[in-house]
Amino acid sequence: MQELQLLHDAILKGDAKTAKSVTEQALASGVEPLKLVQDYMVPAMGEVGRRFECNDYFVPELLLAARAMKGALELIRPLLVASGVQPVGRVAVGTVKGDMHDIGKNLVAAMLEGGGYEVIDLGVNVSPEQFVAAVKEKNVQIVALSALLTTTMPSMKTTIEALKQAGVRDKVKVLIGGAPITKRYADEIGADGFGESAAGAVALAKQVTG
Amino acid sequence: MNTNQLYQERLTRYLTALRNEKPDKIPIRPFVAEFTAKYAGMTCQQVAHDYNLAFEAAVKCAREFDWDAIVPNMVYVWTGLAQAAGLRYYGIPGIGIPHTTGFNYIEPPEDNAFMREDEYDALIDDPTGFLYNVWLPRVSTEVAAIGQPATYRHNLALVKSSMAMMVYFTAFGPQIQRLHDECGTVSAIAGIFKAPFDIIGDKLRGYIGLTMDMVTQPDKVLKACEALMPHLTHVGLTTADPAKQVPIGFWMHRGCVPFISPKQFQSHYWPTLKPCIEEFWKRGNQTMFYAEGKWNHHLDDFATLPERSILFHVDQGDIFLAHKKLHHKFALSGGIPNVLLSYGKPDEVRAHCRKVIDGVAKEGGYIMDASAIMQDDTSIENLRALTDVTREYGVYSGSTQSSANPAKSCGTLRPCHGADVSKLTGLSGLAAPRIKPGICRPWEEKARELPPITGDQDLVRRVWENVEALGNTYIWQLLLSF
Repeated sequence: MQELQLLHDAILKGDAKTAKSVTEQALASGVEPLKLVQDYMVPAMGEVGRRFECNDYFVPELLLAARAMKGALELIRPLLVASGVQPVGRVAVGTVKGDMHDIGKNLVAAMLEGGGYEVIDLGVNVSPEQFVAAVKEKNVQIVALSALLTTTMPSMKTTIEALKQAGVRDKVKVLIGGAPITKRYADEIGADGFGESAAGAVALAKQVTG
Repeated sequence: MNTNQLYQERLTRYLTALRNEKPDKIPIRPFVAEFTAKYAGMTCQQVAHDYNLAFEAAVKCAREFDWDAIVPNMVYVWTGLAQAAGLRYYGIPGIGIPHTTGFNYIEPPEDNAFMREDEYDALIDDPTGFLYNVWLPRVSTEVAAIGQPATYRHNLALVKSSMAMMVYFTAFGPQIQRLHDECGTVSAIAGIFKAPFDIIGDKLRGYIGLTMDMVTQPDKVLKACEALMPHLTHVGLTTADPAKQVPIGFWMHRGCVPFISPKQFQSHYWPTLKPCIEEFWKRGNQTMFYAEGKWNHHLDDFATLPERSILFHVDQGDIFLAHKKLHHKFALSGGIPNVLLSYGKPDEVRAHCRKVIDGVAKEGGYIMDASAIMQDDTSIENLRALTDVTREYGVYSGSTQSSANPAKSCGTLRPCHGADVSKLTGLSGLAAPRIKPGICRPWEEKARELPPITGDQDLVRRVWENVEALGNTYIWQLLLSF
């Protein structure tokens, strides 16, 4: 299994090339796809998050690791789907209406994917109706809303209200995050959780889904 | 007191604080952007599209609030110009984004960045030429790429956008005069500057592209930053306050931890920024570090700059830490969270302002402002609370400001007055660029195309270069301001 440890290390170092080639070799030699995810990729992204939290890693390292992880995951995902393996959970992420910023949202998406979640990325400037549609049509358990601007924070509230009106609020957990967001704001608008940084996204997702 | 006397009093107050000294009261300098629209009963769309309405809204705020200084139009990106040039990177209120939202900068996707990863050499060789030849056709829906047939729309876009820029910039003079004459309010900053590393991330390679380049070709990135230094410094110097009183606006974006690592800050961001700031100071210009986001990690480096050479504005950083690390050399501004001003209660705003005043303003050298520019979500009531509490609580006894005759003192009052700049290197250690900043095509190149010039050759050259400078202004302003 020492070769497989290379996958873990390649993700940690952000070495996309090695991550991909190790994955290819492992799959060719019959290693179970889910094992690669659970035993090597998820722990690697977990370690990336930990290093980010303690100021050992910064956004560049996080982006590189996410990229390496994604490259490997692209090879594995079709096999997981074919064998009927379910993801840890399904999350719809998006930057709320009126806001075009995507770096934070993309980091959260990458961390969640690295944690074994299936991520449906709705993009930026996402209307409440689009979030509602994602909940109805994609069977997501979590909706993660991002906003960089204080002017677009209210779109988070209107999105939660839209989920209520559509009768699907109870079906999903709503997580919010972004530079101006506080726990107080999350509580005020009735979100289920608030994330201070992308690195904590997986832990938060697990916490709210119990 | 008439508005001129009021202006002189406020200017003295502001300049005294910029000198990190103790004025009669804490100056108030709110960077009000779309807030002005809200206050004046207009929409974000109106102030973004029609700068005359934006000017009107700013004047109304300046007239009705007791503020010492504001920016003549903080909704700076005039969408009329952006549309004339066909700029792809703006979400314009009412066009693609709701008309009730302020304009948004749209970062290009990584695989379609405005500068490709293999184009560093071209940028390094001639930054101005690169902007015209490569960058402009990519950022514009109208301008044709070099080698492609020029079109009617191409020609129109260049003429319309450059004339629009001239008209817009020219309108600032009367607007600043109006603020003086009708409101007694100081124009808070003059000129624009961005860090070389930031501009590559913002408008050329994009943040993700630049992050990847820092792994694959960090030396090229460094050379590109170095190549941009003289040009960006030139923009700052030519747009600065000729009286050298108010600071050059330096808008800091993603050069801080965690967007870059501390190592990258030391290898790229800081060594290509510091000499520019020193060059400004050598020439008597103070720089306002508008530190968007959190810059707590970098305060020790900023503290190595010459005393009074900067005003440090705190956004989401820790203003008390900034005070501890920087106040012995520089004045501070900001530190009042926008979330609080938008969603808090007036009592909470008052309490927070008092806390900041107690913590950082006791010895002067503090300018009251929100953390970031204020958009239309800022509560009018809360901004009134900020203003009132600063006026009530922010009064100094034993100040160094002369209240008897402020007009007499502020004419010569400058942040740089008394500074020793003799040991500063600035940009003098940098190799001269192949094409000097401020022009596009060198005169020597043009002169070769002309028959021998008779009469006053210097006159012909001077006028050529002056007009050439307009071409230079257009493209660098498009890059930095729009």
